Amino acid sequence: MKLKYSLITRRTFLNTLFGGWLVAFFSGTFFALMKFAFPTLGKEPDFVVLNRKDFTDLANNSIKRFPWGGTVGFYFKKADGAILALKGVCTHMECNVDYKPAEKRFYCPCHQGWFDENGKNIKGPPPKPLEIFVITEEGDKLIIAKKGVKVELPKA
Amino acid sequence: MNCPRLKEWLEERYDLEGMKRLAKSKLIPEHRYDLWYYTGGITLFLFIIQFLTGMLLAFYYVPHIDFAHKSIIEIVTKLNMGWFFRSLHHWGAQLTIVFLFIHLFGTLLLKSYRKPRELVWVTGFILLGISIFFGLSGYLLLWDERAFAAVRVATGGAGAFPFIGGFIKAFLRGSMDVTGDTLLRFYAFHVAILPILTLGLIGLHILLVQHHGMSVPLSLQAEKRREIPFFPNVFYKDLAIWLVITGVLVTLTVFLPPEIGVKADPLAPPPENVKPEWYFLFLMETLKLFPGVILGMNGETIAIMLVAAAILFFFLIPFFDRKSALGEKSPLFTWIGVIYLLYFLTMTAVGFLS
Repeated sequence: MKLKYSLITRRTFLNTLFGGWLVAFFSGTFFALMKFAFPTLGKEPDFVVLNRKDFTDLANNSIKRFPWGGTVGFYFKKADGAILALKGVCTHMECNVDYKPAEKRFYCPCHQGWFDENGKNIKGPPPKPLEIFVITEEGDKLIIAKKGVKVELPKA
Repeated sequence: MNCPRLKEWLEERYDLEGMKRLAKSKLIPEHRYDLWYYTGGITLFLFIIQFLTGMLLAFYYVPHIDFAHKSIIEIVTKLNMGWFFRSLHHWGAQLTIVFLFIHLFGTLLLKSYRKPRELVWVTGFILLGISIFFGLSGYLLLWDERAFAAVRVATGGAGAFPFIGGFIKAFLRGSMDVTGDTLLRFYAFHVAILPILTLGLIGLHILLVQHHGMSVPLSLQAEKRREIPFFPNVFYKDLAIWLVITGVLVTLTVFLPPEIGVKADPLAPPPENVKPEWYFLFLMETLKLFPGVILGMNGETIAIMLVAAAILFFFLIPFFDRKSALGEKSPLFTWIGVIYLLYFLTMTAVGFLS
């Protein structure tokens, strides 16, 4: 059936065409801008490789810090000599925690959170215990890895 | 100064007489609460000072993780008048935030936000948010321990939002953690993005105020009003008050130069009892109130959601307060305003004292 009159006017057609063109143009532009503004995020490391001899003569009841991606990890020798590696970042608001040898506890100064010497959250706002890493020793290397991660060192 | 030829030249092209008439016709109501009108002007004046001192500091500041902290130390120790302008920029920022809050709570309690001035409130509220972000981004530029911890908490807090938190956090930080990328990003916010937004919004805010005229408190609307011309009466009063503010500002600048903390170290813990700027203290104390886990849910997320909801309600008060929109007294919203004010003041005081 041929209609006598068009269902859309010339103006509606042109408005839709140009409007659609503008929407397409600006959404494309916006998308590209946002793509550029958002960084390609790195990833938290699965493991780090440290020199074993840097950590051997650590006194009991003290920590030694090592870089863990952009944050910090602790190599921790408990008062009884047991060794523990953990992430030194508070599980509440991501401040670095500090070790208090006198109290044998970890402490976050930002919102007064406390963790015991096993990293368990015991007081204040932290919702979770500190993350514990797995320590393996290979020759003169000390490998500190996230739990459940298979460490594959590059062959060199 | 009298330049008849210049005047003529302009007169031929622009309606100078018309503009003069318009300026003369601007009237300001005079009543016992009219002191609140000046808080907006004070903030404007402080913004101008911040823009000027900020432009000067940008000549010398180096936004790089290795040089940022050192360049500020050089500004205050080696440059002519560097100590003065850095301190002036610091204290200007502090006073701006103080007067923004005074302006905000004055507007709230006098209900000047009521119909038809909702958009004046909206633009002003966004300006307050921008100013607080100005403060946060500005003090990260120092790249000292305190700023580092504060920005980690603030961006991490934004990350606690359900769904969109991760995006906001990544956008603000520019990387997984607070790094040199974050410093550069905050520099861009502080010197380019926020100033442009601020200029536009201040323009709109002032334009809207001109359009609506000054709001008269509900309780005084029935009384017979006295009005005085803006030029020159109120304008001269504005200038006089700005002079007093300048005095206070320069006194603080000279006698209490702000400290520069130890350079930020991503491996070191923040200093003992670290505190953010005073306008974040109420947020910090609120965060401390919440335990880690509430009914099996993350306490941090709940805290952030509640704070966001409270701020959103505050932002939308002009649209909730139906009574004052109709020109009736609205004691409920007076009480809500008082509660907000008391909460802010109490928590800030607790933050100072703890």
